[in-house]
Amino acid sequence: MIELTSDPGWELLEEHPLETEFDIVKARQSVRQFAKDAGMGIVDQTRITTAVSELLRNMYMYAGGGIIRIQKGLFDHHQSLIITCLDEGPGIDNVELAMQDGYTSGQGMGYGLPGAKRLVDDFELQSQPGKGTTVRVVKWK
Amino acid sequence: MNETNITNAKQRIEHIEDILSSVAAGDLDLRIESEYEDDLTGIEEAINLLIDDLTHELKKSLKLKAEMEEKLLKIQEQQKTILQQQEDLMELSSPVSKVWENILILPVIGTLDSQRTQVMMENLLQKIVATGCTTAILDITGVPTVDTQVANHLLKTVTAARLLGAECIVSGISPAIAQTIVHLGINLSNILTKATLQDAMIYALRKNEQLINGKVVLNQAINEETI
Ligand SMILES: Nc1ncnc2c1ncn2[C@@H]1O[C@H](COP(=O)(O)OP(=O)(O)O)[C@@H](O)[C@H]1O
Ligand SMILES: [Mg+2]
Repeated sequence: MIELTSDPGWELLEEHPLETEFDIVKARQSVRQFAKDAGMGIVDQTRITTAVSELLRNMYMYAGGGIIRIQKGLFDHHQSLIITCLDEGPGIDNVELAMQDGYTSGQGMGYGLPGAKRLVDDFELQSQPGKGTTVRVVKWK
Repeated sequence: MNETNITNAKQRIEHIEDILSSVAAGDLDLRIESEYEDDLTGIEEAINLLIDDLTHELKKSLKLKAEMEEKLLKIQEQQKTILQQQEDLMELSSPVSKVWENILILPVIGTLDSQRTQVMMENLLQKIVATGCTTAILDITGVPTVDTQVANHLLKTVTAARLLGAECIVSGISPAIAQTIVHLGINLSNILTKATLQDAMIYALRKNEQLINGKVVLNQAINEETI
């Protein structure tokens, strides 16, 4: 798993393996609840939940599953919800291409990654062919 | 102890051994029988009591086992029913109904995973063919998250319906979901959308009226309504 640099001060809220489509549903519900608990409004709740949904679907579809980690803490001086998706799938050969609107290697619409990036306050993706992919999205109030 | 006594005792001990080995082999109906009253009698009676207890315990555990098996069977049956219900629910959660002359409504509730979307789409297309309706309303008020996969499914459903001669109206997109769709970058402008199911119904009814009266060219009406 590729681990991104993180702040030891962040509080871990939840961490689960993601194996089935049902896990996606459950994880999405958790994210929405944590966003609500963090005092986010319905628009921000919907944004972060949808962004995470994109990452989870990708992880399920292209990497056959992975891990979702939900944390909260200070990010860039903002009290934030931090969600990291880690997988040990094939990785992404050309990240720049994958981040382009409309690019898909499969049957998708190709808006998942760039769309997720537009929906959140911070987006970080690291991928290494053969090792896996880790994507972290951050949303603050 | 004299010779006869010893022979007698030997025989009785052999009898005890026989009974014990029969018990060990599972025959619990046998008991030690003796015509004598002496020191051995106590042991013989104790063994008989032991066999009684054993029989009792064994019967109890057999009964328990039967009960457990029965319970297990019940649980397995319940599990089957639950699975069946889940399948039924999947069908139920995409119930297509003809609410008005020429108008179908499909309320979509819950999470649209690939399997459910497939069922939903097939149901709708079948119903369009079966009824000949030319307007179908897909109400997604009950869908909590519209991501690119859900949007893609919606687009495909609308396109397939169009190929069958039916126009779809997607209703129930909340303001938060509308904003999110815009940020995702998905273009839904080819789909006719209405804020609420009621708006969609009014639109569909008006379209019906126009069809019947033949007043307005349909395409023109649609263009006016599309935002
Ligand atoms: N976790 C991942 N592992 C491997 N490849 C991925 C992963 N996530 C995304 N990709 C690649 O990036 C492409 C773009 O992803 P995305 O923007 O979500 O569009 P889509 O899923 O519609 O194809 C995918 O087609 C896939 O090739
Ligand atoms: Mg995707």
